[in-house]
Amino acid sequence: MLTFILRRGLMAILVALTVSFGTFALFHYATDPAQTIAGEDAPQEMVDEIRKQYGFDRPAAVQYFDWLGSALTGDFGESYFWKQPVVQLIVDHAPVTITLALASLCVTVLIALPLGISAALKPNSWVDRFALSTAVSAQAIPNFWLGLMLIILLAVTFPIFPVSGDATWRHFVLPSLVLGASSVPAVMRLTRTGLLDVLSSDYIRTARAKGFTGYRLIVQQAMRNALLPIVSVLAVQLGNKLGGSVVTESVFSMNGLGRLAVESIFNSDIPTVQSLILIFVLTFVLLTLAADLINAWLDPRIRMG
Amino acid sequence: MTTNQAINESGLTPTTAVQEDNSLGLSPTMAALKRARSHYGLKIGLGILLVMAIFALFAPWLAPHDPYMQNLPMRMLPPVWGEGGQWQYLLGTDHLGRDYLSRLIYGARISMTIGIGAATVGMIIGVTLGLIAGYYGGWLDQAVNFLVTCQLAVPSLLLIMALVFVIGQSVTVVIFVIGATHWVFYLVVTRSATLRLREMDFVAAAHAMGCSKFQIAVKEVLPNLANQIMVIFTLEVAVAILNEATLSFLGLGIPSPIPSWGLMIAEGKQAMFFQPWLVVLPGIALFVLVIAINLLGDGVRDVTVTNRRN
Amino acid sequence: MRIRTLVQSGIHLLGVVISSLSLCAYASPKDNSLVVAFSTPLTTVDRLYSIQREGLILSRLTDDGLFYVNPDTLEFEPLAAESYQWINDTQLDIKVRNDVRFHDGSPLTADDVVYTFEWVLDEASETSRGPVIRSWLESVEKTDTDTVRFNLHLPYPMALRDMAISIPIRKAGTYDGTRGRENAAEDIPLNGIGPYKLKEFRAGREIVLERFDNYYQASPKANPAIDTIVFRVIPDQGTQQAELLSGGIDLMMDVPPDVADNISHLPGVRRKEGNDIRIGYITLDAAGYSNPDSPFTNVKVRQAINHAINREEITRYLVRGSAEVVHFACHPRQFGCDSDGPRYPYDPQKAKALLAEAGYPDGFSFNLWAYREKIIAEAVVSNLRAIGLDVDLRFVKLNVFSKVRNDRNMETFFASYGSGGTADASASAGVHFASNTARNFTKDEELAETLLAAEQTINPDERKRLYRNALNRIAEQAYWVPMFSYSQNYLLAPGLEFPVPNDGVPRFWQASWSEQ
Repeated sequence: MLTFILRRGLMAILVALTVSFGTFALFHYATDPAQTIAGEDAPQEMVDEIRKQYGFDRPAAVQYFDWLGSALTGDFGESYFWKQPVVQLIVDHAPVTITLALASLCVTVLIALPLGISAALKPNSWVDRFALSTAVSAQAIPNFWLGLMLIILLAVTFPIFPVSGDATWRHFVLPSLVLGASSVPAVMRLTRTGLLDVLSSDYIRTARAKGFTGYRLIVQQAMRNALLPIVSVLAVQLGNKLGGSVVTESVFSMNGLGRLAVESIFNSDIPTVQSLILIFVLTFVLLTLAADLINAWLDPRIRMG
Repeated sequence: MTTNQAINESGLTPTTAVQEDNSLGLSPTMAALKRARSHYGLKIGLGILLVMAIFALFAPWLAPHDPYMQNLPMRMLPPVWGEGGQWQYLLGTDHLGRDYLSRLIYGARISMTIGIGAATVGMIIGVTLGLIAGYYGGWLDQAVNFLVTCQLAVPSLLLIMALVFVIGQSVTVVIFVIGATHWVFYLVVTRSATLRLREMDFVAAAHAMGCSKFQIAVKEVLPNLANQIMVIFTLEVAVAILNEATLSFLGLGIPSPIPSWGLMIAEGKQAMFFQPWLVVLPGIALFVLVIAINLLGDGVRDVTVTNRRN
Repeated sequence: MRIRTLVQSGIHLLGVVISSLSLCAYASPKDNSLVVAFSTPLTTVDRLYSIQREGLILSRLTDDGLFYVNPDTLEFEPLAAESYQWINDTQLDIKVRNDVRFHDGSPLTADDVVYTFEWVLDEASETSRGPVIRSWLESVEKTDTDTVRFNLHLPYPMALRDMAISIPIRKAGTYDGTRGRENAAEDIPLNGIGPYKLKEFRAGREIVLERFDNYYQASPKANPAIDTIVFRVIPDQGTQQAELLSGGIDLMMDVPPDVADNISHLPGVRRKEGNDIRIGYITLDAAGYSNPDSPFTNVKVRQAINHAINREEITRYLVRGSAEVVHFACHPRQFGCDSDGPRYPYDPQKAKALLAEAGYPDGFSFNLWAYREKIIAEAVVSNLRAIGLDVDLRFVKLNVFSKVRNDRNMETFFASYGSGGTADASASAGVHFASNTARNFTKDEELAETLLAAEQTINPDERKRLYRNALNRIAEQAYWVPMFSYSQNYLLAPGLEFPVPNDGVPRFWQASWSEQ
């Protein structure tokens, strides 16, 4: 068990290092942050000065290991663009993304579970068809477009919710719907097939055939067995929400980590990009680890290794 | 573990409860075709797709205008049923006075090119890596596994954006970058099939007859996987199309002035409260295309993968 | 169209509901405050360490320089200076006012002026304008209690401009114990002499200013009407619009014309158009940096491109407002922007003929790079394709753009330049052609010499003559495709009075709320 966690941790560190070095190299060779820092109209002398001050003229390897060295001691540097410690920046932006991710997860669960369960209980009925077409449609709607349509409909034509921003809970309603909808198909299908599998298993069939009086009870038991693994899937979905937040936060102009990542890429704000990637990788590893642990706990047959 | 979960969530397992198989005595292909004929989703998807493919292929003859032809005095005209709309421009014009209908028609070309191109790139990468990892195992398998983890750990959209941002925007770059970040499903399927195959007797037999083991693996694995790979391919086409639209929407996809639906939505966004058709129309086009592909993919899977029922 | 009317009625409703709410929710007029949206975050409030336009706007409230830019004439006039006198071409005496106070209450002295300029001259201070100032200023010395002498390396007519735009006066000893940019810019509380003092600075979020009561009455900026000015950082245009409609902000700058058109029809918003000294242009790689055999090294090709661009249509339909077609490498309102060189009217036939003459009857392929106003770049590409050129648009962010430009890998690019709000041709033609910077895509040394001579000439007539020669040369050689001057769109909350600036740099000490 412990070695499993250790191996996962080692893997995470390796992945984070690889990705961060890749990002650094890419940005170093293709962009010039100095002009962005100086402003578009800045004269040449000023841009050169900034390049010198920030040390952009040093060899790439020196710059990278300099950053890495500080990062290892917990100093993630200062954002070129926002002139704030990156840690502060992340602390400021994280609540929006976390709130959004959790709220959208609730949306997913509230839509996908009831749909999937009712579909599985009555396969090939109209409920089942409705559930499947919902899944197919939700899978085909471009996420950002759904956001824009909801803004036009529910924020402008019928001004129930705000157009954009992240100031109050009302600001989170539409974005959570959008981000939540994107995971509905996957979770719904999984619920449905999982439950169908259990329901068609021998002991349930036997119970049913014999007109066992406790049939309902067994269905309930079966459902619990079928649904628990979904918890682990949800953990992974929560990680996917981080990626999804990039788009949703841009559409709704929310100051979360996803949008911060996009803006930082656009500004060649390397310290911020690097740190965000570290966070994303870490979150992913933690969530998958959690998912695996849940699975192991549910099903002792899965061996860790 | 994680890759298996990913594949579960992709919906690669059949969802429609397959009808009782009473096609005794028919060859598998015939049986599949027979099932296909009674599969509504498949038929609808295929039908829509055919229509859109015709539009894409014959765009130069079907589009009323040159999609690049700008006419500034005529900019931002509403569709013909709107106030001030003109018959000359059935669906209105965009911010440069270009015919919106023509751009929508040409947009089908772009979406389909990207979708098929990226899914092919992903397939080549995924299948190759899967064969290598499954067949050789050992440190090569480990290395491939590491690649998969890297790929899954960073939000793929962010990765694609960073790559396109740094390499530069063009249709080819978008195809390759999307393809290069969507190969995990192919890999998982190929790898496990190859692993299973390696244990089998006839491989050893073929080896004894002088064929190289890898050749055997390729020859034996791929035909068996054709169905599954086709299903993944169809679904990845849809995913790639949505990815391209999202990228273009965020300004890091297809470069202007090429008509891409995602780009058209991005360009219309600024005026969407006042000229909503600029955003609504390309979105609908995108939705219809993707839903058709998904219906087709689901249908193909339901029709070909029957052995999962027990 | 039903959807459209539905949406519009919705927006109207939104506007009405919100404007009635806003009266009680965020009643700017009542507490006499003004909330302005900034699109980009300001990294520091110290003008010495910032060159962003937002920094200039802020600095005009918190700081005074020795001189200032007259908002009407755009000329440079004394501000914290009582008077000035050129002793000769390289010596300037400035008499400092004696009624000026810093925000901490202490009086301004000649020592503070000397300290400020010596700090800028010191390379270790790493101020952002240091390199520019050091290029002309040798030393400063106090000659009597209220007079400071400026010793120049060379005659420099733009000395007053630099003092007005980039050098706010700091109290002697302000930066004691700091090392360069590192902490000078961030850890020192701002102590200026402007009509507003800094109350709060939350980096990347908000800047709050409060009227400074001990401001000197003799200043043209004295007695501003607004009590509190708040700058809120809202990077997204859409959010800014929503905030304006809901009363969260009172003023929006840099509004794209299409948005301004649409929004200004709503109740609760007023639109104002103002001039901007910014011009838009295309640079052609005449020097052949990207490729020695580049077609753009041929003057006929460059002239063909000039004839191919439909400036009138682009200006009229895309830039709009008070924008004008520009024919030369400067803004018409700038001193010295006066040329009798050739103009290139829109004429695609002639453009094609010139291409054929140059040996490219079937055109050729190249990239047009751009980082702002994509819509205009697209229109340009369309114009160029119309004469048979195979152009690809490379629309990128500024950091990529400047990398490629610094590497001299651009054949053509569309860009714009705001001249730092300076109404002088040295800031436009001079910046782009006088020295071998990344902006200069010619190897025209004679042109550079003419422009350098103009920058070191005090006599206005002689300067005008030199600029005319330079601008004629640029036009004859068609190094650029000058296109248009910009127009600034502002959206205002109702009741806000605000004279739009002539140079695109708002002066908020002139703002006020009308009686309602």
